[in-house]
Amino acid sequence: MTSLRKLLVLAAFAFLTMAAAGCGGSSSSGSSNGVVNITIWHGYIDAEGRAMTTLVNQFNQTHPKIHVSVHFYGNSDYALQKVLAAIAGGDPPDISYLYGSWAANIAESPRTLVLNNYIKNDPSFDWNDFWPAERQVATVNGKIVGVPALVDNLALVYNKKLFNAAGLAYPTKNWTWANLQAAAKQLTIPSEKQFGWAYVNDASEDTVWRFEALLWQQDGNILTPDGKHAAFDSAAGVKALTLLQQMAVNDHSVYLDSGNGLYANLFNSGHIGMLYTGPWDLSSFPNVDFGVQILPAGMNHQTISGPDNWVLFNNGTARANAAWTFISWFTSAQQSLHWSLLTGDLPIRASVLKLPGYRTYISKYRGVSTFVANLSNAVKVRPVTPLYPKISAAIGQAVQAVLLGKAQPQQALQQAAQQVNAILAAP
Amino acid sequence: MRFWRSDHVSGWLFVAPAAFLIILFGVVPIGWAVLLSFQHNDLLSPPSWVGAANYRALQHDPVFRKSIHITIVYTLLFVPISIAAALAVAVALNAKIRFLALYRTAVFIPVAVSTVATAIVFNWVFDPTYGIANWGLNEVGISSQGFFQDPNEALYTIVAMTVWGWIGFDVIIYLAALQGIPQELIEAAQIDGASRWATFRSVVLPLLGPATLFLVVWSTINALQLFDEIYNTTRGGPLQSTTTVVYYLYEQAFQFFNAGYGAAVALVLLVAILVVTLLQFLLSRRLVHYTS
Repeated sequence: MTSLRKLLVLAAFAFLTMAAAGCGGSSSSGSSNGVVNITIWHGYIDAEGRAMTTLVNQFNQTHPKIHVSVHFYGNSDYALQKVLAAIAGGDPPDISYLYGSWAANIAESPRTLVLNNYIKNDPSFDWNDFWPAERQVATVNGKIVGVPALVDNLALVYNKKLFNAAGLAYPTKNWTWANLQAAAKQLTIPSEKQFGWAYVNDASEDTVWRFEALLWQQDGNILTPDGKHAAFDSAAGVKALTLLQQMAVNDHSVYLDSGNGLYANLFNSGHIGMLYTGPWDLSSFPNVDFGVQILPAGMNHQTISGPDNWVLFNNGTARANAAWTFISWFTSAQQSLHWSLLTGDLPIRASVLKLPGYRTYISKYRGVSTFVANLSNAVKVRPVTPLYPKISAAIGQAVQAVLLGKAQPQQALQQAAQQVNAILAAP
Repeated sequence: MRFWRSDHVSGWLFVAPAAFLIILFGVVPIGWAVLLSFQHNDLLSPPSWVGAANYRALQHDPVFRKSIHITIVYTLLFVPISIAAALAVAVALNAKIRFLALYRTAVFIPVAVSTVATAIVFNWVFDPTYGIANWGLNEVGISSQGFFQDPNEALYTIVAMTVWGWIGFDVIIYLAALQGIPQELIEAAQIDGASRWATFRSVVLPLLGPATLFLVVWSTINALQLFDEIYNTTRGGPLQSTTTVVYYLYEQAFQFFNAGYGAAVALVLLVAILVVTLLQFLLSRRLVHYTS
């Protein structure tokens, strides 16, 4: 019962020390001997952490006028709070890795660099080479506040052995919801505690974004085009939630994960036939011969993507220009491919696919080629607004109520829509 | 010279380092939270003063009301169950039996284990499909339960898990108190012809009063602040059935970025804990006997 208190104390401590550091005037970063020093904050570990060091060292060796220092800030989940404390103290990093879902929040800070002019004046950068979902997430009311750092999406990952045992053909790219539902039913063997599919049912964003992909597959939308009203309580939303209801409540073919990631262990031990998941999970399945396919279609095969950003902060023109030089080098096609080869992460630019080294990447990491192809199905993004966490919470309650058999799709979505309309209407 | 040598000053000098830390990390954050609770503050854009608006909004917030209800139910279950169970275990472990040290260690281990580790284990134990709890129930002919995934059972499952996790601490306190009871009092009762139960009820139990008072106050404060176990198992769900006051505060401040509103929740809780603790001390004057 004490760790929240510890967290608060730590936050207060960080706040005070950073405020104190801010009062002390100029800090370590800055310009000396014509070399501009900048800092970059990130939460990468393991292969990605090593790749970070490798690439930054390479940059520093080839760019004598700029020195980049890399700072590891721990778990990325808490990065926003740390960056906010640094801004309050007057000494933010020059660049920080931040989740895409925070773009609208961070855009409200006057210290955040708006990048439109940098992009316009740098013809080699080519903003349109980034995937559409990446560009939409980094853009808040027309202001570009981040450079894409990471991209992923949801696809269908299946256990080939369980499909063979059930006498089922592997999923194809022409699968529909009916195929998914039928296969899940056939893969479910209650006596062996085997399920056809799994769904994260903790009412968090994990629950919500999978539902949102289904909603878009029926041509539905989360909000109306003007962003002022809920739109998910439509026929498309009811269809999406009804699919979940039929599979979980009627067929009992879905393992409901209470949000602690047990589904990954269960898939790896051969208890679950299919998952809707992303490339980050693949390394958790060493014991399974798995295949990857794009999501089955409602009216279309849309998926959902959760891109993250490098956000730049204003510490004076010299440092801002140096930060731009670094980040445009770091996110170029050449370095993006280098990064993907070292880590297995999906390439952040479309032109990477045309580079000669791309084939090496595809053959080195199993399943990634489907995820890369699936990026073109990531057409829509979640609403870019600081109110999104509240919207997500309301939808999460609706989905969870239906999956637990406590509500009907239509009624649950209408109730959530009322809440969302109230949230959007609040001053 | 005399001033510097007086006990008064040296006493203050001794406590100064600790007092400084308590003020810095205890009093200052509380003061900051008080200010925050009168602001609209998303920790990002400049804050604005809103007077008591946060507190007024709390009055009409159905989720906040529900979280108070859930916290009270939890406390009313957790405190008596954990203390009664601890007393029973402590009395059993106060006897002279083989492997005594082993049992005492076993009872205390859950307290030393981190909450996160405990929660991961219990997520598996209470998994409706793969958990050992349902396997055990099925073996004795009881049908499977939902536990953490059933809105009607999740809170009681949390009670079971936290009683298991915290009982060791209570047992240690009771063991110490039991060993402080003078043997001659118990012998006197036996010479007067008191049965073992009568001795326990009329001699041992009253002498455990101070320990019980401490445990009631301590457990109540902890129960009213329940958070870690919720965060690591149910995350307030399913369907908000385990959203305690502190979990709600966390959601508001760190998920929805309503830091001012979250601070208002925290201050209401602070006042509630102060009142409950005061009441407990007042009541205890009539119920607890101290040996001189």
